[in-house]
Amino acid sequence: MPLVTRVTRAVTALATGLALTFRVMVRRKVTVQYPLEHVDVSNRFHGLLALPIDPATGKDLCIICFQCERICPDRCIHIEAEGKGKERVLTRFDIEMDKCCYCGYCVEVCPTEAIVFVPHYEASTYSRDRLLYDLDDLHAAAPKEPVARGIVGGMVR
Amino acid sequence: MALRTEELMLNMGPQHPSTHGVLRLIVTLDGENIVDVQPDIGYLHSSVEKMMEHRTYVQNVALVDRGLDYLIALNNEEAYCLAVERLAGIRPPDRARYIRVLFCELNRIASHLVWLGTWAIDLGATTVFLWCFREREAILDLFERVTGGRLHHVYFRIGGVYADLPEGWSEQCGAFLDAFLPRVDEYEALLTENPIFLARVKGIGRIGRADAIAMGASGPVARASGIAYDVRKAAPYEVYDAMEFDVPVLEDGDCFARYLVRLAEMRQSVRIIRQVLRALPGGEIRTRVPMTMKAPRGEAFVQTESPRGDLGVHIVSDGGETPYRVKVRAPSFSNLYALTEMMRGWKIADVIAILGSIDIVLSDVDR
Repeated sequence: MPLVTRVTRAVTALATGLALTFRVMVRRKVTVQYPLEHVDVSNRFHGLLALPIDPATGKDLCIICFQCERICPDRCIHIEAEGKGKERVLTRFDIEMDKCCYCGYCVEVCPTEAIVFVPHYEASTYSRDRLLYDLDDLHAAAPKEPVARGIVGGMVR
Repeated sequence: MALRTEELMLNMGPQHPSTHGVLRLIVTLDGENIVDVQPDIGYLHSSVEKMMEHRTYVQNVALVDRGLDYLIALNNEEAYCLAVERLAGIRPPDRARYIRVLFCELNRIASHLVWLGTWAIDLGATTVFLWCFREREAILDLFERVTGGRLHHVYFRIGGVYADLPEGWSEQCGAFLDAFLPRVDEYEALLTENPIFLARVKGIGRIGRADAIAMGASGPVARASGIAYDVRKAAPYEVYDAMEFDVPVLEDGDCFARYLVRLAEMRQSVRIIRQVLRALPGGEIRTRVPMTMKAPRGEAFVQTESPRGDLGVHIVSDGGETPYRVKVRAPSFSNLYALTEMMRGWKIADVIAILGSIDIVLSDVDR
C-alpha cells in the first residue's frame, strides 16, 4: 500500500474516532459514584433475606413446615422448633448467608410469605461469623413498614 | 561460527489477565514465531456435573446458572430446562416459550458485549470497553426488573418461567433496543475501519472450514469459517421456527471475520427480540410442576445455540429425584481445541488477539 494511502487512512480514522468521542463526551453521564450515590434496585431484587413479624399477632409468620430448609440447594437454612400444636414456636432459624446463592427458592416455596427478600445488598463484613444470620438478625433485617416483596409464593407483587 | 538456537517454552497464565480466567497456555516459540500452543485447562474445575447428581432437578437450575458459563446464565438454564422437559414430557405454555426466547437473546447481546469490550481492551481500545459495559448495564437492569438477579437469575423453571413481565417492561425493552442499534454502529465506527485494529486482527488466526469442522468448532467461530450452522435454524427449539432472522456466515475464518459475525449476531438478536415483543401471547407462564419432581427412567439430549456455540445437555435419569448423570457439551471447550490450529505460525504478539477472538469462558471449559 502506498504511503499516501496509508497516511490518508490513518488521518481519516483518527478524525472519525475523535469526532465520535467528542460527541459522546457531551452526552449525559451514566457513571454512578457508588459509595456516595446509590442505585435503586427493583422490587424483585434478590437482596438479603428477612423474616417479617406479623403485625396482627406480633409473632413469626413461619409455620415451621421446613419447606425452605428442604428446597435450599446450598442447604444453608437451619430450623428448629419446640412445642406441639398451637404452642409450636421457632427456637432456631439460622441462614448461613455466606453459603446462600440467592436463588429465591425459599421465598418461592414459603406458603405464608414468612421469608422474604429485602432490597438490601451491602452485606460484606470482615469476619465470616457475622454472615451467620440468626432469628434476631433476620427479624431486624425485616423492614418496619410494608414493602414491595418482589416475587412471593409464585405470585408477583 | 553460527550461534546455536533453540526453541523457547513460554508459560502464559494461569494468572495472566488476557486469558479471561485461569487458563495456562504453553507456548513454544522459535524467536517470536509460534511453533506450538498447548492449552492447559482444569484450574477452574468445579465438578458441576457430579454436583448435579446430588441435587434435585429443581435445585439444579440454580447450579447451571453459575456452574457453567457464568456470563450466559439464562442460556444455560434454557438448555437444562429443555433437557428435563424433554425427559419428563412437560410442555411449557406458549407465553413462557416466547419469554424464554426473549431472555436468551437479550443474554446473547449481553455476552457479546462483554466479549467485544474485553477483546477490544486487550487490543488497546479502552473506549469500546467502557461503551460496551454501559449498554450491558442497561440489559442487566432489564433483567433485574424481571428476574431479581443481574448475573444469576434462576428465572427459568421446569415447565415455564418464574414470574411474568412487570408493567411497562416491554416498553423499556423496546426503548433500549431502539437506542442500542445506533450504539453498535458507534462501536463499528471506532473499530471496523480503524487501521490499527485491522493490523491486529485482519487475516490473523485463520482457520479453514475443514479444520474448523475437524476441531469441533461451533457458534460464531465456525460461522466465521464458512460453516452455515446454527442450532436455532438447523433444529429449532422453543419458538425459533416462528422467528425471522439471518445467520451471518463469513468465509475468511480470521479474527476479523469472527468480530464481524458477532456484531451481525447482535443485530439479528435485536430483530428476534422485536418480533417476540410484538408476538408475545397472553396466558399462563408456567405449567404446574411439583418442586420435588421425579423424571421417568430414560435419557434425553438437547442442543441449543448459546452465544458461544453449540451447548448440549444430556441427562440420564434412573427415575429418582436427582439425575443419574448429566453431561454438558460446552461450546467453549471445543472452541478452545481449535486454538492450536489457529495460532500455529503467527507471532507471539498475536496470541492475545487470537485467544480473545474465540470467546471462551473458563468456567465453561472446565466445568
